[in-house]
Amino acid sequence: MSKIQDTFLKIGSIDRRWIFLIIAAVVIVPLIFPVGLPIRPTDTTKNVYDSIEKLPAGSNVLLSVEYSPSTRPENHPMTISILRHLFKNNHKVFITCLWPDGQFMAQDAINQVAKQEFNKTYGVDYVFLGFRPGNEAVVKGIVSNLRKLYTVDVYQKKIDEIPLMNGINNFKDFDFLFSSSAGFPGTIEWVQYASDPTGIPMASGVTSIQVNEVMPYVQAGQMVGVLAGMPGAAEYEALIDQKGSATSGMDAQSVAHLVIVLFIILGNVSFFIERNRSKKY
Amino acid sequence: MIWKRQIPILIVTIVGWTTLLGWFIDQPDIQEFVNDDATQWFDILASFAIILGALNLIKLQVQKILYQKPGWIYSVVAVMGFLFAITAGFFVKGVDDSVAQWGAHVTTDGTLFKWMFDYMFSPMSATMFSLLAFFVASASYRAFRIRNFEATLLLVSGIIIMVGRVPIGSVISSWFVMYLIVLSAGIYINVWKKDMNTTFVFVAVGISIVTIAGFMYGWPIDKPGIFYLPAIQEWIYYYPNVAGARSIMIGIGLGIFATSIRYILGIERSYIGE
Amino acid sequence: MGHPYLYEDRIVMLITMFLMGSTLMYNVRYAQMGGEFYLRPIPGLKAVEEAVGRSTEMGRPILYVPGIQDMDQVETVAGVIVLGHVAKMTARYETSLNVPVSRSIVMKAAREACRESYMIEGRPDMFNEDMVHYLTDDQFAYAAGVNGIMVREKPAACMYMGKFYAESLILAETGNSIGAIQIAGTASQAQIPFFVTACDYTLIGEEFFAASAYLSKKPELIGGVRGQDMIKAAVIATIIFSIIIMTLYDNTGIGFDVSQLLTIR
Repeated sequence: MSKIQDTFLKIGSIDRRWIFLIIAAVVIVPLIFPVGLPIRPTDTTKNVYDSIEKLPAGSNVLLSVEYSPSTRPENHPMTISILRHLFKNNHKVFITCLWPDGQFMAQDAINQVAKQEFNKTYGVDYVFLGFRPGNEAVVKGIVSNLRKLYTVDVYQKKIDEIPLMNGINNFKDFDFLFSSSAGFPGTIEWVQYASDPTGIPMASGVTSIQVNEVMPYVQAGQMVGVLAGMPGAAEYEALIDQKGSATSGMDAQSVAHLVIVLFIILGNVSFFIERNRSKKY
Repeated sequence: MIWKRQIPILIVTIVGWTTLLGWFIDQPDIQEFVNDDATQWFDILASFAIILGALNLIKLQVQKILYQKPGWIYSVVAVMGFLFAITAGFFVKGVDDSVAQWGAHVTTDGTLFKWMFDYMFSPMSATMFSLLAFFVASASYRAFRIRNFEATLLLVSGIIIMVGRVPIGSVISSWFVMYLIVLSAGIYINVWKKDMNTTFVFVAVGISIVTIAGFMYGWPIDKPGIFYLPAIQEWIYYYPNVAGARSIMIGIGLGIFATSIRYILGIERSYIGE
Repeated sequence: MGHPYLYEDRIVMLITMFLMGSTLMYNVRYAQMGGEFYLRPIPGLKAVEEAVGRSTEMGRPILYVPGIQDMDQVETVAGVIVLGHVAKMTARYETSLNVPVSRSIVMKAAREACRESYMIEGRPDMFNEDMVHYLTDDQFAYAAGVNGIMVREKPAACMYMGKFYAESLILAETGNSIGAIQIAGTASQAQIPFFVTACDYTLIGEEFFAASAYLSKKPELIGGVRGQDMIKAAVIATIIFSIIIMTLYDNTGIGFDVSQLLTIR
């Protein structure tokens, strides 16, 4: 018994580099040998899907991309899936970015979905407005006068010469907003300055860490739903029936979470053994 | 003296009150100042201020190289990276004007800047973010200890959220969770009563009840919902979590209001060094 | 009210704002005229001076990170204010201070705050402009830079005061690995749990905004903290009252729809 307790005590004071090594292994192995665990969509994800599904064909949807390569595994699959859903239902997509890095991410998504998968026509089916500096001033600018803020698109083409931009003057000319966001400026700024004051419905895809901050807005009805991190992206991929990188990442995330829980349990067992021994002595 | 004290306070007071009261005033010029001009002035200032920061960075790194201070090799990398980014952004496009204009070249495939973004910046950025996976594991391992009731509550809800949020949580049957609860309660009873017989009876009765109920209902994986991890984690997210988040948000909002009022009224002047 | 230049549906907010402001001003004046208030001790703020003392004894610098956002964020301004107080202590104890920043304007403001602090303490000779230096605007490049400083210089104390995002745990864990005492203060809701887990002391939300009052002990600032608490009590009372009214209204029709009154557009 004493030997077992000593073993647990050793585990309790393990060098954190062993923890790093084990985490690396449990993340890499499922990526190479996928398990294929079933994905069960949650209500918040279903609400986003249903809201987009209910939009009349040809609706004007504003897609705002504000994340950088660091959160690409979480946000990019959401952007891809939303774009696929929007193009499948023949909606008109207007893409803007509140982060400079978001422009690169948006371009990658457009290349993959709009050009390669759906063969959509630029200027007719979608417009890429690009990044403008100013944080929440950009959101306010889009709400009040989009054409003052965007005189040219990301390819330096005049907005007035793009057919799809006819009749689009401010935020109220859109039917829906989706924000794929990883921080500031992002979801909260869109809710506060655009969606809530104008009543245009919005949904968002955020990193797992941000879900806490955003959930009060979902519960209050200011957002129709939220895609919560990579699990949310995987759920949306399941709903549109097109698996992507989020689904393949869920096996790794599942196993990693289990391993972390195991570490926590082992750490607590060691803690109790140490506490009992110190009480004895 | 007046330039360093009174004038900054006057600027803060005037602009602060205009921005604050501007939200209530329905006058186009004031609305335009509050919504567009004020923030754009700041952005213009911040954009020019980047030059100051860049010069400071280069000055310090070059000094380190010239005086061969410890770690000067890293400074060489920093300076080279800085110069490379400037070159790719402003001087060498890597493609003809017909492929991409200056400005659009930052996102156009084939340009030097895009190459730098895809093959240098993105991997390094992703690497730093991926460190969080390791650090979360080591921080959780070190910090989650059952020291008191609150820590236990934190631990249990953390485990429920971590397991319930991912697909593996949806394949864990609620009956398995019930068995776990019975066994955990048995351990607690044993520690409390220190009587093997009581513990045995409790665990045996608990397991029997769960097993009989399971056979009666056909062992559905997600019922009863109160023991199904995804259902519990959703409830935790929607109710206790949102309540806690709202209360912190309200507190922070009040803190921001009080702090901002102090700046606008000139009570707090530490930002100018007073 | 029919005023041409006033948003009528924001009147409630305007009145509330003036009431809140008046409460704050009343308490500030009361404190300035000699009124004394009790402030509960905040361990994180008491630990600041201990951390500076520890650094002095060990002969190692203090690392101060004022967040990764610009001066348009209230948290960053609060972080710069706390930096001023910390700089006074480092000037007094003759400890070196390292302040890597992520924004150029923050660099200038932080420098001015440190310069003033060192002058007030009578140690302008100890102030060096390069103690506040710019790294980069990019979030994770900044985190990498600060981590590098931590691992190379091994500060005895690390203070994180300002607005943070995902890099918070990276900074805090690295600081933990070098054995530094860590004090964090932020109103970034999502990062508070990471700081609580990895740091020795954490100022949560309003505690961070009240730090300036605690450290300076100026009566007008302490009065402001008390005013804040009174406003919070009023908000709690309003919430409870609104719940009762709405429950009555929804179930029996008695009363009025208080959510219409309190909703701001």
